[in-house]
Amino acid sequence: MKTQGTNSFSARRVGAAAAIAFALVATSLPSAFAAGEVFGKKCTTEGVSTGQKTTSLICAEGSNGKLTWQRVRLGSTKANPVANLTPPKGSIEFHHWRSEDKVVLQGIIDDFQAKYPGTKITQVITDSTNYQNLELSKVSVNPKAALVTIFRGQQFTDFAKANMMVDLSNERFVKQNVIQSALTPGILNGKVYAVPYQSLFNNPIYNTEMFAKNGWKTPNNWTELLAFCKTSKAKGIIPFAWPAATKGNAGQIMNAMMMNSDSSIDAITKHVNDIQAGKELVTDAWFKGIATKYAQMNDAGCFPNNVVAYTDVAAQADFASGKAAIYPTGTFGMGPIKALNPAMAGKMGIFGMIVVDSKPVYQGITNNTFMFSINPKSNSTDQKIARSFMSYLLTAPVAQKYAVGTSQHVSVINVDYAENVDLLNTSVIMGKKLVLAPRFLFTNGAVATPVELALMAIGSGKNVSEVLADTAKQIKTALGA
Amino acid sequence: MALPAFAVYASLYLYPALTNLLYATQRWDGITAPEFTGFRNITYLLTEDDLFRKALGNNLRFMLVVVIFQTGFALLFATFLLKNSKTNIFLRIVFFFPTILSSVSVGIIWTFLYDPNYGSITAFLKTIGLGDRAPLWLGNESLTLYSIALTQVWFHTGQMIVIYVAGLQQIPKELYEAAEVDGATRWQQFKGITWPMALPTTAVVVAYTTIQTFKAFDLIFAMTGGGPSYASEILVTQIYNTAFISQKFGYASAQSVVLVVLVLFITWLQRKTLRLNDGTK
Repeated sequence: MKTQGTNSFSARRVGAAAAIAFALVATSLPSAFAAGEVFGKKCTTEGVSTGQKTTSLICAEGSNGKLTWQRVRLGSTKANPVANLTPPKGSIEFHHWRSEDKVVLQGIIDDFQAKYPGTKITQVITDSTNYQNLELSKVSVNPKAALVTIFRGQQFTDFAKANMMVDLSNERFVKQNVIQSALTPGILNGKVYAVPYQSLFNNPIYNTEMFAKNGWKTPNNWTELLAFCKTSKAKGIIPFAWPAATKGNAGQIMNAMMMNSDSSIDAITKHVNDIQAGKELVTDAWFKGIATKYAQMNDAGCFPNNVVAYTDVAAQADFASGKAAIYPTGTFGMGPIKALNPAMAGKMGIFGMIVVDSKPVYQGITNNTFMFSINPKSNSTDQKIARSFMSYLLTAPVAQKYAVGTSQHVSVINVDYAENVDLLNTSVIMGKKLVLAPRFLFTNGAVATPVELALMAIGSGKNVSEVLADTAKQIKTALGA
Repeated sequence: MALPAFAVYASLYLYPALTNLLYATQRWDGITAPEFTGFRNITYLLTEDDLFRKALGNNLRFMLVVVIFQTGFALLFATFLLKNSKTNIFLRIVFFFPTILSSVSVGIIWTFLYDPNYGSITAFLKTIGLGDRAPLWLGNESLTLYSIALTQVWFHTGQMIVIYVAGLQQIPKELYEAAEVDGATRWQQFKGITWPMALPTTAVVVAYTTIQTFKAFDLIFAMTGGGPSYASEILVTQIYNTAFISQKFGYASAQSVVLVVLVLFITWLQRKTLRLNDGTK
């Protein structure tokens, strides 16, 4: 396997990098990958890894041109992961949006503060919508916000434009503790400005017990998916608990709808860029094709009744209580679902949502978000504290505590997920050919919002042509303003 | 003594307001250097921006419904709760109670109440056999705005009751006594005494309610985010989206200038209608 240097990352290579990256962000993989991996022996699926440890193997092309199991090189260097940096005394704010992680992160902070008396970290949590919209303004006038998490996509671009991130490229804990290819979303012009902590898989989560009981198999193509909807609905079970009234999570299936909408991620990126530049319309064939899939799913009964008013709260409740077969958002939903119904632990699986009948280009979605960055406006002491706490979070035992406690995969080397059965069960997706969530290619909010609202409306039963015509007009107006 | 007050006013209100006027003449993404565009933002949003017109229409409908019902209910309840008996004082507190809640909490609570699957309102309709006819309170585009308006009325009527009670208690009792001697009915007393004497209070209530409806950002943001399909988008939610999602701070400033002018005009019109400016009340 070739390890890419930081300079080689570019937007056009995101897809290829991601496919390899998320095969690497592998945990101790489940049974499908648990046997036959012997160093130097033949393997079949390029990019599949036996785990995210320094001792793990990866299936890669050897010097003889054949796929063989080779020693994986996860970090930017061959050196082993390092311990965390020692902080000076003082206090900083740690800004993020994940209120569901508050308790686990506080436990980690308490351990850190006990280890280093006189150093204080305070979590400042804002809901994700406001965080995306307001955080840049907030931290630019608040130097105490020394450690700031950033979303992939528009927010990262905005922070970069405003010079609001410190270059972390030369930090040893970045080069040696983090899976290098998972760093892609935080790299700009070859420099690491933000370090992704979580590795998300924005694919549908399904109730494995329900599927087994009914003799169902997860759909492998578009025809099977629509057929499954009819079968499930006939049984009185909501096929896809799609939360059309909650914009953020309603948009997750857009990733699946987009991923095989053209021949490659480059082609998809071009469509998106052209729409954002006003050169292509949402009424044109590419986007209309995506929108039509939503209408077809609605027609096939894939979504719940009254889906237009179906919130994420209702969707999680229905899935957790066994009224819905599939919760189509991603691995990040497993924690809240287990909180609603602890009996769901160990009963959740994941599958790539394929919406074509031809051979898919990509088999699933991944995303690296929740990226750590350091505020350049903080004073040097506060920046040192932020660096130290970031390096602490990026050590394997701490990252493992976070991963297991929050049911999130992470991008840290040597993490073991054995303590969390759901992380193990969903690790199967890592063996697939994944692409970085293409929904976030829409980086212009003036375009992204009407596009997502249009798909929500169409999935809720509105006429495709009418909605897209309106949306095209809205985008034209927004781009001209 | 006036100088510190002016300094606070100037720094917290005057300076931001004037700065906003400046931004309204610029194309600015909030990050890079702004570019002067003159009146282009204003002319564009008044002539080209359909969504702005939709938000404006929504806002006016929202205002109309809330002003009518909130003022009407407040006046009605105030007439019943006028005497300072223990029961009335207790009821005034009960009616006032929602006002002290956070508007986001109110929005979330009512979103749950309106939920078509888990909401108490639909559950109640089901128990009386109307489950099939239960509307999609927040999902039906033609109903959403009114559902939120109902929440707004519930939220703030108590506040207006208190203002009305204070105003109605200033009306001399002798007027009612004389009317009773003349054999006036309760409706005639209301029409001839209460309503005209309550006009100044009504003007305050109507003006305040109007401004509230133009500021109902938090309630709408918490309940629908302006959806579905912009059906509940009002001017302030659109200004927020323009500034912080589309990152067009100059354009958002122009939108807010139009909003301020509009609120000033409507308030002036209301005062004119209630004849408070010419001494003929």
